[in-house]
Amino acid sequence: MNASRRIGPQRAASVLAVPALLLVASLAGLILGLTGDGWRDAAASLLLALPVLFFLRSWLRRS
Amino acid sequence: MSRSTIKAWFLIHKWSSILCTAFLLMLCVTGLPLIFHDEIEALTEHDAAAAMQGMPSAQGGVPLDTLIAKAVAEGGGGVPLFVGFSHDNPILTVTTGPTPDAPEAQMRLFSYNRTTGASAGEIREEGVMHFLLKLHTDMFLGLPGMLFLGVMGGLFVLAIVSGVVLYVPFMRRLRFGTLRKTRSKRVRRLDTHNLLGVVTLGWALMVGVTGVINAFADPLTYSWREGQLKEMVAAHGGDQPVAPANYASVDAAMAAAQTALPGVSPQFIGFPGGGWSSGRHYAIFFQGDTPLTSHVLTPALVDAETAKLADTASMPAFTQALMLSKPLHFGNYGGIALKILWAILTLATIWVLWSGLQLWLGKGARGTDRAVDEIVHAGAGS
Repeated sequence: MNASRRIGPQRAASVLAVPALLLVASLAGLILGLTGDGWRDAAASLLLALPVLFFLRSWLRRS
Repeated sequence: MSRSTIKAWFLIHKWSSILCTAFLLMLCVTGLPLIFHDEIEALTEHDAAAAMQGMPSAQGGVPLDTLIAKAVAEGGGGVPLFVGFSHDNPILTVTTGPTPDAPEAQMRLFSYNRTTGASAGEIREEGVMHFLLKLHTDMFLGLPGMLFLGVMGGLFVLAIVSGVVLYVPFMRRLRFGTLRKTRSKRVRRLDTHNLLGVVTLGWALMVGVTGVINAFADPLTYSWREGQLKEMVAAHGGDQPVAPANYASVDAAMAAAQTALPGVSPQFIGFPGGGWSSGRHYAIFFQGDTPLTSHVLTPALVDAETAKLADTASMPAFTQALMLSKPLHFGNYGGIALKILWAILTLATIWVLWSGLQLWLGKGARGTDRAVDEIVHAGAGS
């Protein structure tokens, strides 16, 4: 497990792939919540919860 | 990325963070209870508005002139400065002051049930929540305090951007989400700082940037008044001030404005001579009827002596950005779930700031060159 965490050098694009995804999800959630109520608010909260969930997953799996 | 580029970004990250961290920690700690401002107020104070029966004050009720006269009498004379409408309940607020250009400190705020016309008491800006809000907005220093915190917010945004730039070489040999469990507390702290910082990137940027825009609210409003408003006034017969004794009926002014702008409802009225109007006009600000356009205001200028409509205009992009920045900074637009996430993300930001401070000053802190080594060689053995 430990060894598999150490990987060859990655390009900037692959380092930033997941962070960029979370960035887009957060911003989409923030703006979606502003455009309406009901399902949009629920979707906004779900999208904004993604960063927290990703962190918790890594925290529980820390090597 | 070359070593010297990394070093330059490291120094940007270090110094932008050092300069803003103390203030950002204050902003996070005061901002945390402010997220739940409405809920806390409903618990601690009599929640007069929620208990009221009737139609929203933006839709109608007792004539505005009646309630404005009441407020001026209750305030012991003076002039009306603002009228605020609600879209949820019958509460209508009237701000009064000794003169049309009275500073905020001399203003008084009275609330009424517009359906019945009954007084709902004077709203006093005091108590813990007001203290926290003042600390958060300007540290009790007025405009200089606001602008200073705006600059601190700008440094925070710079710290976030430079942090992301450094994240790239740091993570080159590490998978996303790696939190190394070593004996070194510094490595564990650094990994958590980087991961928590990068996952909260979108939210922190949004709250940072909108906070900066809000901090510059006064100069933005001023430049709107000096720009678009002056042009509107100049195109419609100039700006001869109207004495408060000659003010025309506000209800007549509202009717004139609503004829010109059907399908929108009023949010507030700025009286002549104040920060939101000219010397001669009632500026009635209308909001749209969809959740998004409800944050975008359209002013109607009505002559305060004749109650005749002078002009209406959409506000320029920079003032609309200011309107949209408020909800996006406060997080009060998506129900309780969004507020709880706002609080969790604020706590995460406090952790990122605090761990950054410890990485700089705590045990195992190192000089610039060794810190750059740490970024370049992360994950490459050792």
